[in-house]
Amino acid sequence: MGLRSFLHRLTAPKIGGMVEARPIKLALVINHSLGMKKGKIAAQVGHASVQTLLSAGSSTPKMVDAWLAQGQKKVCLKGVDEQHLTELQAKARQLKLHTSKTIDAGHTQIPKGSFTVLAIGPSYEDDIDAITGELPLL
Amino acid sequence: MALLVRTDLEMSMGKVAVQCAHAAVDCSLQARKSIPQIFEMWRNTGSRKICLSAIDDVDIMYWKEKCEEAGLVHALVRDAGKTEIPPNTITVLGVGPAYKASLNELFSQLELYGVD
Repeated sequence: MGLRSFLHRLTAPKIGGMVEARPIKLALVINHSLGMKKGKIAAQVGHASVQTLLSAGSSTPKMVDAWLAQGQKKVCLKGVDEQHLTELQAKARQLKLHTSKTIDAGHTQIPKGSFTVLAIGPSYEDDIDAITGELPLL
Repeated sequence: MALLVRTDLEMSMGKVAVQCAHAAVDCSLQARKSIPQIFEMWRNTGSRKICLSAIDDVDIMYWKEKCEEAGLVHALVRDAGKTEIPPNTITVLGVGPAYKASLNELFSQLELYGVD
């Protein structure tokens, strides 16, 4: 975490109260080790986004509304494997960011119960970047 | 829910995924209001999604009209064009959630997207 975002965290109002006019995004980290095809990845990222809309919609509704109003920015990143995604989720939770785990039903391509996508956010871009900043774009 | 992806654009895997997610979110927002029971049913049965191949923007607009005629929830995604492609480019058409049988019938001639 940078000094700026650290200072911000100390002084910022709690999410759920006022939302500031800073860029908000949703990060979607895919499990690259599963070797999913293009269409499969798109569907899984779609699952993760709708799931986030509903769960974050009840836990941090103002953040979700602000995210939608800003054009629902999403970024798709390459995660290594299930362990990597789990580590990122733990880090995001420490920073009190909303996370959502997508598990595949296993009807096609990959085994049932595979952890396919980790969604982090929607939240302020710099807070998300503190966790996913190093990951390559998909 | 069906996601029709344009195949004539040069989009990276991540770009396609994000465009499909936009469509899924937009359809969900609409469906939650207009057809709440079908939306809940879809959520409770695994939120099934399928990606299909559309040829180009003309093809997408053709399918959009078909959805309007059939009274199906749908959302057209236009990219803001900050990356990879020009602004306002049509990328994906999201359709549904709706009964699997009606989507299968409507889109029977379309091939699955990105299976190889």
